[in-house]
Amino acid sequence: MSLLESLRFTRGDTPIHNMDPRVKFMLTMTFFTASVMFLDLIPLATIFLVQAPIVAYAKVAGAWLKSLKGASMIAAIIFVTNMASFYYFRGGVLTYGILEYSLALTLRFIVLVTSFSIFFLTTSPDKLSLALEKARIPYEFNFAFITAIRFVPVLADEAQTIMDAQRSRGLELDRGNFLTRVRNYIPILLPLIINSIRRSLELAEAMESRAFGATENRTNLYELKMTRFDYMMLFIILLSMGLLVYLKLFYPGFPKLLGEGVIL
Amino acid sequence: MTIIEVRDLTYTYPHASRPALKDVNLDINAGEFLLLTGPSGCGKTTFCRALNGLIPKFYSGEMLGTVKVEGLDTREHPTMKLAQHVGLIFQNPDNQIFALTVEKDIAFGLENLGVPKDQMLQQIHWAAENTGMGELMQRATHELSGGQKQRLTIASILAMRPKIIVMDEPTAFLDPVGAERIFEVLDKLNKEHGMTIILIEHRMDLAVKHVDRIIVFNNGVVFHDGKPQEVLSEESTRLIGVGTPRVLELARRMESRGFKMNSLPVSAEALYESLRPYLPEPRTGPAVDVRGLDEYVGEYHHQPIIQVKGVNFTYPGNVKALNEVNLTINQGDFVAIMGENGAGKTTLVKHFNGLLRPQSGSVLVENVDIAGTSVAKLSRKVGLVFQNPDDQLFEETVEKEISFALKNFGFKDSVVEKRVNWALNLLDLAEYKDKSPFILSGGERKRVALASVLAWDPDILVLDEPTVGQDYGQKERLRHFLAQLRTQGKTVIIVTHDVEFVAESQPRIVLMAQSRVIGEGTAKEIMTCPEKLSQCSVAQPEITRLFNRLSHHGLPHDVLDVDEAYDILVRHLKGASP
Repeated sequence: MSLLESLRFTRGDTPIHNMDPRVKFMLTMTFFTASVMFLDLIPLATIFLVQAPIVAYAKVAGAWLKSLKGASMIAAIIFVTNMASFYYFRGGVLTYGILEYSLALTLRFIVLVTSFSIFFLTTSPDKLSLALEKARIPYEFNFAFITAIRFVPVLADEAQTIMDAQRSRGLELDRGNFLTRVRNYIPILLPLIINSIRRSLELAEAMESRAFGATENRTNLYELKMTRFDYMMLFIILLSMGLLVYLKLFYPGFPKLLGEGVIL
Repeated sequence: MTIIEVRDLTYTYPHASRPALKDVNLDINAGEFLLLTGPSGCGKTTFCRALNGLIPKFYSGEMLGTVKVEGLDTREHPTMKLAQHVGLIFQNPDNQIFALTVEKDIAFGLENLGVPKDQMLQQIHWAAENTGMGELMQRATHELSGGQKQRLTIASILAMRPKIIVMDEPTAFLDPVGAERIFEVLDKLNKEHGMTIILIEHRMDLAVKHVDRIIVFNNGVVFHDGKPQEVLSEESTRLIGVGTPRVLELARRMESRGFKMNSLPVSAEALYESLRPYLPEPRTGPAVDVRGLDEYVGEYHHQPIIQVKGVNFTYPGNVKALNEVNLTINQGDFVAIMGENGAGKTTLVKHFNGLLRPQSGSVLVENVDIAGTSVAKLSRKVGLVFQNPDDQLFEETVEKEISFALKNFGFKDSVVEKRVNWALNLLDLAEYKDKSPFILSGGERKRVALASVLAWDPDILVLDEPTVGQDYGQKERLRHFLAQLRTQGKTVIIVTHDVEFVAESQPRIVLMAQSRVIGEGTAKEIMTCPEKLSQCSVAQPEITRLFNRLSHHGLPHDVLDVDEAYDILVRHLKGASP
């Protein structure tokens, strides 16, 4: 949960924030494909070294570290299971090669998390919706997407209030066996559901009053415009993509950093 | 010029047995500032929905008669087209804000209408300027305060440039200063831009100063229609549960006592002018003590029941809610915690039954530190009633709802039954015993929520915003009920920003601003201290403002309610015939 929480957009005014969401998405996808293409420590570490300054540049290092903290548990599992399974299936020998391979896999996961962090932490849902619109996704879906995001904090507040109200009436959530505990949540879920239904009705009324669906040719306050920086970034992205493909096809293989010695 | 024409409007909601509106005939002129009022469930909200065609199109049901807005029949034009002529704003701002930033939300209606970008920017700008949102354009909508959210909903509707704005209780959740701000905005739109404003409002004292016509609904029919002074001084208006503004009420009583009033005044200033000929010469120096010895002195134990010592609390995300708060509440006290929205009032009372725990400092209930005691156990002593009953009602019947807590606390079945019946009778709910709480009206649901807490007879009762959304009659009942609880020795704590309610029930007041307690004292001490009040967005009651001026003539300045005001005036004005 904390992993998802930490991917929430934080407002900012850096070139990364202001980048065209389509270009930024391509950047993310480049990181993504690159990290899937290679399984050596050297290229993965290189990707990471490219990502780190971008994170710093976008001033989201704090939120990024939080997302890494959320991911650290999974990263640890990846590392340990790899080490352990190689150790057992390769006859009880642990080599530096195995260590390097496990580290690479773990780093790949971190690089993947970071690439998505960069995108979601710096792209406002409004811009994301614009990008979706440009991709010809019907406006209704867009609207539903934005509304969902808009109401997350509202619903979270409401759930908390309901919980407080019922606890004040003597409800103890963590009492009893498993079944009773599930049943304990009924007094919280029911008001939440009923309020949501009531809210959806009110929302629909308010939408009508704001002329929702009045015309097919909806306009948009914000428009996506590629700046010179965007074109520059696009050029760099395409260039690095070409480089990656070249490396994958024609480069024989990266040297191992840790060698092949035996640890245990 | 007639801008809205309603002819023989009768409307019945689907599955309802009786019509919500019956034979309504009204003409509303362009440029009018109109107040719709009447007891809960009288049809005023239904009437608003009929103005932009939500009724009958969105609600179906059966509608007879016609409604014409700027000559357009609401039955023939879809709501989304009518939206450009009449802008409807609902009670809860949270359910009408669609975008993540202020600017984008104001744009929403215009985008839907397909307005080109240049024109859109211009209209957004105009709407924001007229509602005081200009500086908040890039703010995230969920970070706005209650008052700002409400002004945003006005801006968003305004941007579509309708000629008519209809608002359903826009100030229900706002502190007094926030509410005045809304009225200033509406006044400006009405006076400077000639817009027609139709408003539902229970805050009569505030509203009556701004509107020029009042329509009273009762049981779906137009009960009264006319100038504010005329409508509100009708005895029959008061009898159906519409509150008379305090100043007007005082003026009326003075008049019947033989003092001549020029025209019935609705503001402190106007009443002062009317009283002028009868006033003693202005004088300086301390006010004469005009009170007799009959002032009520309550029995007082001075036995602390809740003690808050140096408590700090910060919500995640570094939102400071309580800052070194110290407070002692004595047994049998009646306390009102007042202050602006977001001052930390609700956070404070959540510490009383352990829902929140102090991050530093301590809270003592009956001299025992709450640390380590469960919420369930503390709740036996401290009953906390939340603002919105819908955040807790879930059972099939009212009876089950009220027994919920009793069962949680492990009362025996025979006791549960007795207690439930006792609570039902106490709050006048016996007839709804087997009904679902969800079919009850808002005021009744609020009473069920209250009954469900009272049932276990806690020594301390905490009510969060008990008067929000309640009409005058309901507030009066609540006031009497709280007085009754006090005679039983209960400690009653209310969180409120309803100044009139406080002026009339006169509790001890704790003032909060910016997560601190900034003042404590009797209602009279606090209400006559405008500097402190303005720090926490609480306005003085109108009667007190009147006596501020009268104090220059040797009358006391600490008068809060109509009864006392009348008593003092009758005894001390020239030409009074006692």
